[in-house]
Amino acid sequence: MRILLIMVLSLLGCSGSIDEPVSYFNVETPRPFGYVNGDEIPQRIVIETRSGITLQTGSLPAKGQINRWLNLNQVTVKQSGQRYQIDLLYQVFYAPLEVKTLTLPGFTLQLSQGEKSISQNVPAWTFTLSPLRELVVRQTEQGEYLRPDSPPPLLANTQALYGLTASLSIAALIASYLCYLYGCFPNRLRRTVFKRALRKLAGLSKADMEQALTLVHHALNSLNGQPLFANRLSDFYRRNPEYLQINSQLAWFFNYSNRYFFSDGMIVVAQDLQQLKDLCQQCRNIERGSR
Amino acid sequence: MIRTIRHISLWAALAVSLAAFVYSCGTLYGIHHDNNLIRQLISGKDVVINKVISGEPELRLARAFYFKQKHRYDEALSTLSLIMDKGDRDFQAKARYNLGNLYLEQAVQQAKAMNINAAMPLAGLAKQAYRQALALNSGNWDAKYNLEVAMRLLPEMDRVDMPDDSPINQKSQLWTTVPGFPRGLP
Repeated sequence: MRILLIMVLSLLGCSGSIDEPVSYFNVETPRPFGYVNGDEIPQRIVIETRSGITLQTGSLPAKGQINRWLNLNQVTVKQSGQRYQIDLLYQVFYAPLEVKTLTLPGFTLQLSQGEKSISQNVPAWTFTLSPLRELVVRQTEQGEYLRPDSPPPLLANTQALYGLTASLSIAALIASYLCYLYGCFPNRLRRTVFKRALRKLAGLSKADMEQALTLVHHALNSLNGQPLFANRLSDFYRRNPEYLQINSQLAWFFNYSNRYFFSDGMIVVAQDLQQLKDLCQQCRNIERGSR
Repeated sequence: MIRTIRHISLWAALAVSLAAFVYSCGTLYGIHHDNNLIRQLISGKDVVINKVISGEPELRLARAFYFKQKHRYDEALSTLSLIMDKGDRDFQAKARYNLGNLYLEQAVQQAKAMNINAAMPLAGLAKQAYRQALALNSGNWDAKYNLEVAMRLLPEMDRVDMPDDSPINQKSQLWTTVPGFPRGLP
């Protein structure tokens, strides 16, 4: 038992990680070679601390010139819980004569726990920088070889083209809808005569029989191009032969309408309205070309 | 009533969209015209100056490009200096790179003529312009190359701090240079 207790105590003594203020620390850097003058070098520092310990962002290197050949362009700190991700973006301005070893300077991160301050060193990082030019400089007729000026860019017309297309499309849509409203598409209107009549018929009951009959009359008149009466049905069939197949229903309609409007004591039943709707539906099927 | 309102609003929408169409046509024509001017300047033909002054920054960059081709450095510099803060990041990087080239070309010419005193500040200005261009767009290889040319022309040395340069000495020097009270005539 005593031996076991000693073992447990010694293991607890070895671990020690519970008291470490920084549980994880890593500096991620890209390849340490193959850089040239003007290149950007990103450096990521990931640090995880024990709860209650916060990073002092003031201890991070300041944005701007670090030394003669090194600039720090960007400093970003992302915090998620006790994990800090520090992204630094350096830029090198150095013109070596041959491949040269340079060092990103290290710095000390300050962490604080209440009034207590803890330090964490970020080590210096060494990399090599290569020249872009040869030692014996190339000469041209004008003298030393230089890269030419950047040609001025042309103005982008994408936005104006989008505006043009959008405004033209909207104008065309509105114009065509207005044309439709003003009856500039007679063929199209003629092909939706019974569609519109059906839609209006759907909301009517047998009490509105007069309105229903007027609707169907109006639809047939529109299709005919002039008022259609029972005695002129033969002319109508000559011009619209496809309606000949519902001859009997149309004859019923004219007969019924005649009795409704000109006879006294006519009693309307629901079946009449249904028959009228069926007639209209058949006319619609013919109009659509499905019969 | 509703029908009338619908018709009026439809006609109004049609008028607005047609106005937008006419405006877009005008803008597109303006862009086409400016692009023709830019092409003309790149090909080495000058254009009427009023069009450049009232025009887009791209047009000014093109005119500076034209002046540089004709070795009219002062005019190129004054044209470029007006557009340094205009346009997007990429445009600014281009303008700064061309400014760097403008300084470097003159610095190389002065160095060739052994006017070292004139060449040095020009090379310094060129380096500054290239650095700014690279800070805006680090993928500009031409700027990297020309910056290296400028750096070789004017090598950078780390400042050596001499003990005499320390601020304490400067301070004591300052006191010693304060003139004493006049002693009066003998």
